[in-house]
Amino acid sequence: MIKINNLLCKFNKKIILDNINLDIKSHLSILGANGSGKSTLAKSICSLTKHDGEILIDSKNIKELSLTQRAKLISYVPAKLEIYEQFITVEEFVLLGRFTHKKSFFDYSKKDKNITKQTLEFLNIDYLKNHLLHSLSSGEQQLVLIAQALTTQSKIIIFDEPTANLDPHNSKIIAEHIKGLKNYHQIILITHDLHLASYVDSEVLFIKDTNAKLYTDEFFKDETLSKLYGVKFNDMVALYD
Amino acid sequence: MSILILSPFIGAVNLEFREIFIQDSLSSQIFFDLRVPRVLFTFFAGSILALSGLVFQTLFRNALMTPYTLGISSGAVLGAGIAIKLGLGSLVFGIAAISVFGFFGAMFTVFLLIYLSRFLQSSQQQSLLLLGIALSLFYTSCLMIIFYLGSAMQNDMLIRFTMGSLSVIGWNYPIALGTIAFVFFLCVYIYRFELQLLSVSDESATMKGVDTKRVTLILLTASSLGIGILVSISGPIGFIGLIVPHIVAKLHPTTVNNRILKTALFGGFFLVFCDTIVRLISTQSELPIGIITALIGGPFFIYLIIKKASA
Repeated sequence: MIKINNLLCKFNKKIILDNINLDIKSHLSILGANGSGKSTLAKSICSLTKHDGEILIDSKNIKELSLTQRAKLISYVPAKLEIYEQFITVEEFVLLGRFTHKKSFFDYSKKDKNITKQTLEFLNIDYLKNHLLHSLSSGEQQLVLIAQALTTQSKIIIFDEPTANLDPHNSKIIAEHIKGLKNYHQIILITHDLHLASYVDSEVLFIKDTNAKLYTDEFFKDETLSKLYGVKFNDMVALYD
Repeated sequence: MSILILSPFIGAVNLEFREIFIQDSLSSQIFFDLRVPRVLFTFFAGSILALSGLVFQTLFRNALMTPYTLGISSGAVLGAGIAIKLGLGSLVFGIAAISVFGFFGAMFTVFLLIYLSRFLQSSQQQSLLLLGIALSLFYTSCLMIIFYLGSAMQNDMLIRFTMGSLSVIGWNYPIALGTIAFVFFLCVYIYRFELQLLSVSDESATMKGVDTKRVTLILLTASSLGIGILVSISGPIGFIGLIVPHIVAKLHPTTVNNRILKTALFGGFFLVFCDTIVRLISTQSELPIGIITALIGGPFFIYLIIKKASA
């Protein structure tokens, strides 16, 4: 349960989000034009960017949580893998998701390694475990990023445009996994992909001109979409189902 | 390893093996008061340089970032230069004034870089390198002013100093530097898993619960302590921090946390090796080590830039 009160976010003195008040009880897809502030909102929830106002998770202010507590509560799956380390394997990278559960100074435990193994099997990518992260395709990298977030076993998972760099085949695989994860985690999905949002089937938050509006079920109706985007849902070929 | 044992036997004066262990003989004095301390000092110097290179490259996620290329060594040189110019031979709280000034020169540069990097986007890491180069040029000009104002004797001292030299007499410097190298290594080793996460990105490390600002500050301070004090004793020795982490990564392609000890050891061996060559080829007066490492390092730096650009 995420509660947002009077959220104000600025970037270089420009107001990105203004006076946002939200109750996020369950899964949420965040949509909106480029630069509308979707990622800013997600990063505020992760406390990665500065913000004014309150963000409460289970009635605790995230600014008052320690970094470890916050990490155990929320994981963030970026749109794209950016990594300097050349020689990290998939298994080693996914294991990093266990960092917050690890005793500081000591090595990752057997339990951490088991959870990593199970996660790789769950996502059907255990055959990649000894591959170098650099050598993977974008689709495989996205799955590895999801695997890393899953090993953290956090309550909330934020996906930042998970299908932005993927072909239709890989988008479908990712979409199915995200939908499946709804049973175990609270999913917050940032996307431009209307079909992905409609397939994942959650409440929709549409951000425009620093404001956010919550749609519970009427979002994917043609009247709403043509008002917001100037397109109808069936104008675009459905990818999933 | 063998280089470490053989190195003390090599030098301008050939030592008779039998004589070394005869008390108060000339050979014994050269061996135990000059050669062995020098090899140990060189080993610790190489370790500090290589390890700080690895730390900088990982923290800034850029293969070209080292204390030397970012101007931190130059900061230490300027600090030490000021101390020489002011004639501060004395001690501050039992520590040589030159070392204190060297450390503050390095530390000042680190904080200046951290401050200036706030104005850069995270994608503009390359600009940080340019800032470092700009700072280096600025420091060099400041050093020129000190030259201009200095007496002939001070200037001779300064020029020798800026060339970098590993000749130490007695055991004080090796013991001091060894202690610092050990503390530095320990700092890096304690934070090895944080460092591994930081090699991905700041953001991802934060999301995993790493206090990135604190860890970065601790590791940069520890590096500056090592570099500042080393440079104040030996003068700048460039490019070890650039070359060694690359060679170790090629030899042991594993994640950064598994390369910390290997990089420190290999850095030590590598500099001892370079120093042994210096002592082999110089008979009259000794060729400064800083010149040798720069001769090897300069082309390597260019190679890395071209490789990065073509990647």
